[in-house]
Amino acid sequence: MIIFRNVSKIYFPERTVALANVSFEVLAGEFISIVGKSGTGKTTLVKILTAEERASEGQVVVGGWDITHIRSREVPYLRRQIGVVFQDFKLLQKKTVLENVAFAMQVIGARPSRIRKIVPEVLKIVGLADKHDRFPRHLSGGEQQRVAIARALAHGPKILVADEPTGNLDTATSQEIIELLQKINQIGTTVLFVSHDQGLVNQIRRRVLVLDQGTLTSDEAVGRYRLS
Amino acid sequence: MLVTIYRVIKFAWQGFWRNFWLSLVTISIIALASLTVNALLALNVVADSAVTSLEQKIDVSIYFDPDVATPKVKEVQDYLSKLSQVSAITLVTADDAMKEFRQRHARDAAILETLEELGDNPLGATLVVTAQRPSDYPEIIQVLNHSPYRDLVSDENYKDHQRTINEIRLIADRINQAGIAISALFILIATLIVFNTIRVAIYTHRDEIGIMKLVGASNAFITAPFVLEGVLYALCATGLAVAVTFPLLNAVQPYLQDFFTGVPLDLAGYFRENFIAIFGSQLLGMSALNMLGSVFAVRRYLKV
Repeated sequence: MIIFRNVSKIYFPERTVALANVSFEVLAGEFISIVGKSGTGKTTLVKILTAEERASEGQVVVGGWDITHIRSREVPYLRRQIGVVFQDFKLLQKKTVLENVAFAMQVIGARPSRIRKIVPEVLKIVGLADKHDRFPRHLSGGEQQRVAIARALAHGPKILVADEPTGNLDTATSQEIIELLQKINQIGTTVLFVSHDQGLVNQIRRRVLVLDQGTLTSDEAVGRYRLS
Repeated sequence: MLVTIYRVIKFAWQGFWRNFWLSLVTISIIALASLTVNALLALNVVADSAVTSLEQKIDVSIYFDPDVATPKVKEVQDYLSKLSQVSAITLVTADDAMKEFRQRHARDAAILETLEELGDNPLGATLVVTAQRPSDYPEIIQVLNHSPYRDLVSDENYKDHQRTINEIRLIADRINQAGIAISALFILIATLIVFNTIRVAIYTHRDEIGIMKLVGASNAFITAPFVLEGVLYALCATGLAVAVTFPLLNAVQPYLQDFFTGVPLDLAGYFRENFIAIFGSQLLGMSALNMLGSVFAVRRYLKV
């Protein structure tokens, strides 16, 4: 599903090495945690995966598509295959829950009939069917993140990337988000969970990739995140 | 495709109404720019009318020797009236000239006495020539000087008028040049203001653009509503400019008419006659400017 082959990312002109010779492969349907301290290259990895950044060296393949040198006009098609959620939710405050999710489908040209069918389904998956007419400011942090997840799922991506999705949430709410991500993974979506939260990662008991100063230091099938 | 077009229009309309005050400010600035251009245009029209009116009042007198008979002067009149540069030509016979001279100096006993002593009419006939344009006078005089009638002419007052004509022409040219320079400067300032206003308007949409990029919207789809919104601004601003320009012109018309007595002025009429050319070109220009501004402003947020 995802292949990173000797990927390096160097930021110029300071020549800051964000990723150094990182290689790993993710199979379809896997749930992977990518962990590491702040500034170890986790977000850079996500940005390369979503073509927000290009790798300086190496090769990146997503769903059989070599995106190493992806053209700008091809990026939207890549992003329709990858759902992304962030720590800060990135919701439109002037739109309701339903409008936020529908908006993601409208802008990629989905038909109204499909939007009417899919949006209630994804809101049901994230447990917000009864709050579809609320505005983000009327929701808790956990609920806002659920809306963001529903939006990421709306166009049926094969991969869901969650970049520090629990960073702004308390422990109990973080737990609920992890459970939701696991539920989405069980439906068949490959999940990449990026976090620096040791407790959360260790309780998932799935594959863990550890990044340290841009280098992949550990890749265990049932891994743990050990603080060095 | 139809769904996409419908959504582009819908998003443009939403962007316009949901940021109503910003839209209003943008429209007001564009309308102000348009009004200033119209004011400069009106100034040019007034200046042109005043200068044209002055130019039309200018004529050149060709004086003939007293011994040249009227039929011969009429021959010269026919000859000159065939020139395309000549607008009108009036014959003042020697008798008429004397009558006018006597009337003018009716209270001057010395002059009247001298005339009596002279006996014969010392004045010759005069041809009063009005040209189509002030620049035509040198040509008319040149034609006359190269004609067989050259020796019949005792004098012409073109040289006296030449300086006046040149000064009027210079003033008219300067007014036109100043108008063009001020218009160009103001259009440049208006362009910068409009660009900046659109940038601010689009800045408020940066989160929306970011999310559109995130979920895989194409750059064309993201940009199109903003471009359309720019056209909507231009349309409203031009409408506002039309709504303000005509009452303003009608309001200043009586004052201008008083100030330029004798000068035929109809500013509102001029704007009505050239409505499509004036407001159409402003709509097109503003639309193009807004579209360009939108494309540039959005491009900044499309890089992610």
